[in-house]
Amino acid sequence: MKREMKVFLLFLLTFGVLCMAGAAFAEDPVYGGILRWREINDPPKLDPAQATDTVSSRAIYLMFDSLVENDSDGKGVLPALAESWEGSEGGTVWTFKLRKGVRFHKECLGESTANGGREVTAQDWKYTFERMVRDNSPRAYFIEMIEGYQDFVSRDETGATEWSGIKVLDDYTLQFKLTYSFAPFVSVLAYNSFMVIPREDAEKWGKEFNFHPVGTGPFMLERWDHDQKVVLKKNPDYWRKDDKGNALPYLDGVELVVIPDNTIAYEEFKKGNLDAFQDFPDEFYVEAKATYGPLFRERPWVGTYYYGFNNSKEPFKGNRALRQAVNYAVDRERISDLVIEGRYPAGKGVLPPGMPGFNPDLKGYSYDPDKAKALLKEAGYPSGFECELQVNNNPRHKAVAEAIQAQLMELGIKLNIKVVDWGVHLDMCERAETQMFRMGWVVDYLDPDNFLYVLLHSSNHGSKGNYSFYSNPEVDALLAEARVETNWDKRIELYRKAEQLIVEDAPWVFLFHYSTSLLGQKWVKNMHLPAMGDYSTPLYNVWVTKK
Amino acid sequence: MFTYFLRKLLYTIPVLWGVVTVVFILMAVVPGDPARIMMGQRGDPATLARIRADLGLDLPLHRQYTKFLGELLRGDLGTSYRSNEKVSVALSVRFGATLRLAFWAMVLASVLGVTAGIVSAVKQYSVFDYSAMFLAISGVSAPVFWVGLLLLLAFAYNLHWIPGVGYGDGQAIYLILPVLTLGVRPAALIARLTRSCMLEVLSQDYIRTARAKGLAEKIVVIKHALKNALIPVVTIIGTQVAELLSGAVLTETIFAWPGIGRLAVEALVARDFPMIRGTVIFMALIFLVTNLVVDLSYGFIDPRVRFE
Repeated sequence: MKREMKVFLLFLLTFGVLCMAGAAFAEDPVYGGILRWREINDPPKLDPAQATDTVSSRAIYLMFDSLVENDSDGKGVLPALAESWEGSEGGTVWTFKLRKGVRFHKECLGESTANGGREVTAQDWKYTFERMVRDNSPRAYFIEMIEGYQDFVSRDETGATEWSGIKVLDDYTLQFKLTYSFAPFVSVLAYNSFMVIPREDAEKWGKEFNFHPVGTGPFMLERWDHDQKVVLKKNPDYWRKDDKGNALPYLDGVELVVIPDNTIAYEEFKKGNLDAFQDFPDEFYVEAKATYGPLFRERPWVGTYYYGFNNSKEPFKGNRALRQAVNYAVDRERISDLVIEGRYPAGKGVLPPGMPGFNPDLKGYSYDPDKAKALLKEAGYPSGFECELQVNNNPRHKAVAEAIQAQLMELGIKLNIKVVDWGVHLDMCERAETQMFRMGWVVDYLDPDNFLYVLLHSSNHGSKGNYSFYSNPEVDALLAEARVETNWDKRIELYRKAEQLIVEDAPWVFLFHYSTSLLGQKWVKNMHLPAMGDYSTPLYNVWVTKK
Repeated sequence: MFTYFLRKLLYTIPVLWGVVTVVFILMAVVPGDPARIMMGQRGDPATLARIRADLGLDLPLHRQYTKFLGELLRGDLGTSYRSNEKVSVALSVRFGATLRLAFWAMVLASVLGVTAGIVSAVKQYSVFDYSAMFLAISGVSAPVFWVGLLLLLAFAYNLHWIPGVGYGDGQAIYLILPVLTLGVRPAALIARLTRSCMLEVLSQDYIRTARAKGLAEKIVVIKHALKNALIPVVTIIGTQVAELLSGAVLTETIFAWPGIGRLAVEALVARDFPMIRGTVIFMALIFLVTNLVVDLSYGFIDPRVRFE
């Protein structure tokens, strides 16, 4: 045999052996075990229609399903309880084909549910959406563009008995008719408020449904020891299967364990009493990264951290040069490195990385004290000025504010920091009673509309999201046009134009983008941190090797 | 005594009404809209208005007050804005955990404190006296969360004698460290006061007479001196009991103990008015009942006490 042929055969043999060895070492999923996930407080709401916080959302993602779900890397939406969908009539009609064989939970708190474990149909979806309106869900207005929303909301006056824009075409076909073309509509439906529930159980329990949640998700509520833990057990009828057609979930259950103190939670994790620790605190970040290596998962979170100027009052009203000056006066990278261990990357604009339409070439503000001084002079404050910065009570926010305060002082800008609790902070920002305020925004749905339109369109001044009371007719027009544009590339172009104008106007100090983190024990397998945040980490395909 | 008891009971009514009214007014004037907090950072004004109407927050203040009083008289403490839980149910569930913790903490504190105080007084200026009083001052000064953390680090995370934090399934082992943490300060207070009261009583003439008559020291101290020294000690035990039963938020936070303290703090942050009002009324009741029990106990400790 020629020498070359021998070498080739040897290579083939070696390659084959390595492949087989790799296959032998590749882990196969293991059924069984409980995963203990740390929560900072008891979830206030387990009814998806009423929950607005991330702790509740963690539990809800485990017990319920939506029509569509977000791709784990934030690249778009994927089928969930809807197998497929189609837009028509210029994007004003959306028709969803539902997955067959999806069943509601048979059990809740150890007792049989009123629905008996029956199949989900299109009628259940119509009921779910209408219930959101009837029960004053804080998030029903996200889909106010569905025809008949206002009539149904004011049904006492109009006499409307149903939400006319939601149609059940047959048991597995659901249709939405919109009053206007709304390009992000399908993305919005992935939000964790829009998850199907059974009429029988909702009507049986009324407001108490919050304590008897019944969905279609991989886990069912077994026990709720308030302020201690939420115990979920596997749903044996869960619709999802793994790649080989095996039943999911692998876990026997999940416990959401309430440990309010971060130090204690970390010690509990080190001791092995917790399997997953989300939203990892700054105090132990460096140690945990060094100790746990790849078990410490971290990635950009689709969110933005900023200081808003009150654009409706002095000194920032109508003074673009002043707002730009403050932006040039802040060294974002240095502050992130010094104060928060570099966890938050510096931000140039509104849209964070991971958001469709994010512009890596956006022209933002770099740290340039000379330019800042020149702009201060142009703005009429050559020696600096004094103003108040309000932040909500949180050690990280205070630390960042103090660092920025020190930095701005170098240019004669005296920032007086006022710390208030969250409720007061929201109230005051909404009523434009601040001069500068800290705010953060994390994605609701994967569309630039969720950031640019919500936070900066002039129709959303105040509580609807535009706390800086920013107004620019040109930006408004671009954002309104992008909302109804169905061509994706054109939409992105419109959003990028709008964002550049916004950055130039500087209604905010563009500071950072968020990151999300999740620490898992070495015996927890196949747990992947999604771009939508740690609390949405899917657990249906996670397994544990230690019981 | 019965008349005294009845009179005291009647006095609680105006006191409770005062507490209820002050809390109502404070909640009305404190900044922060509970409906707004429920909606989260983003909310449309129309939905906000509907939620406020649903919660009765759109009514004029005086109508909210009369509605609240009416419900209270029917025994209805309302429903939590935050969690939709009935306030009375939330309180009863958490009170069980708080009662368990407070009871054992006070048992520990009383036994330890009274014993140390007696021995310190009897062996005044001894090594035991100095050590006990040094520990007592440390106990009073040490922050509760620091004591709790140290105990956890030592016994749970280094020595592994204790499984960890939380309530477990009610097993006694989870009680040990929170009881120690919570009991340290009251034990220190009780020890110092007992010592001080005992020293005063032991210097009385009748004690000298009892000793001169040849009574055993143990009888002199326990039977004759302690009873007279107990009244101030019982008073302080009473106030400590009331404080602990109202919730120990730092201990509950460190040990993830599902008690009333944490419930009250979370309600405050969320502006959960029904829960705030419910917890304050509950705590006021605890103080009133505890004071009454302490008052009545004086008659048993000292027969000279007359209830008028």
